[in-house]
Amino acid sequence: MTVRSRPLSPHLQVYRWTITMTMSILHRATGIANYFGTVLLVAWLAAAAWGQQPLNLVNDIYGSWFGQLVLFGFTWSLIHHMLGGLRHFVWDFIIGMEAGQREMLAWANVIASVVLTLVVWTLFVWMA
Amino acid sequence: MREQVITRDVVANPKSVYGDKKASTRQFITQRVSGAINIAFLLLLLFVVVRLAGQDRPDMVAVIGNGWIGLPLAVLLVIVTIHMRNGLRDTLEDYFHGRTYSLYMMLNTMFCTAIAAVGVISILKLVFWG
Repeated sequence: MTVRSRPLSPHLQVYRWTITMTMSILHRATGIANYFGTVLLVAWLAAAAWGQQPLNLVNDIYGSWFGQLVLFGFTWSLIHHMLGGLRHFVWDFIIGMEAGQREMLAWANVIASVVLTLVVWTLFVWMA
Repeated sequence: MREQVITRDVVANPKSVYGDKKASTRQFITQRVSGAINIAFLLLLLFVVVRLAGQDRPDMVAVIGNGWIGLPLAVLLVIVTIHMRNGLRDTLEDYFHGRTYSLYMMLNTMFCTAIAAVGVISILKLVFWG
């Protein structure tokens, strides 16, 4: 299938920065991050299938402070993208598109994603 | 190579079409359905990671090697890769066109296929061969 060039919007600087615009950009950014983040999951599964030695290597890398930082970011990215997807489901029913409502949904998206990530890490990592 | 020069008039014309109408509708539905299923994937992923993070091979075999966990995980992972390919297509369509688009789309398909293949083979190994 051939694809025609889409009309591109003018440079981002000409617009006043809004929360809905930020969440739109973040939805795409987290989607791309999750896309490449799947390598982390598949590498872990492959190492486990391969043997104890490769699994030790993966566990050491993921358990290091940098690995934990990346996994924390990955957790937030996955949760943020999931909540952004739920927001799209709400919009599909033509709900929450009015001025005020869409800003409320956008703020709810980012606040809930941070809170949920902290809850998951507190319950399953820091307190475990 | 541009097939059509995008002018102000083209953008202003509500009848302008930028892609394949039938395929785009299908891709829209695919993205919604796979996205909804991905919520189940994330819940299963949370369960698996919480149980197994940092654990040794026997523990991995005990949990993922259980067909009731491993097989749904494999199926959901394949659906995730469909969502990934479809989602990145959306992004690529916005910035590339013509042969450049086709090239990136091919790389996209290869990456998603590789993720699905390595993931599924690894899980099946744990389920059927320990």
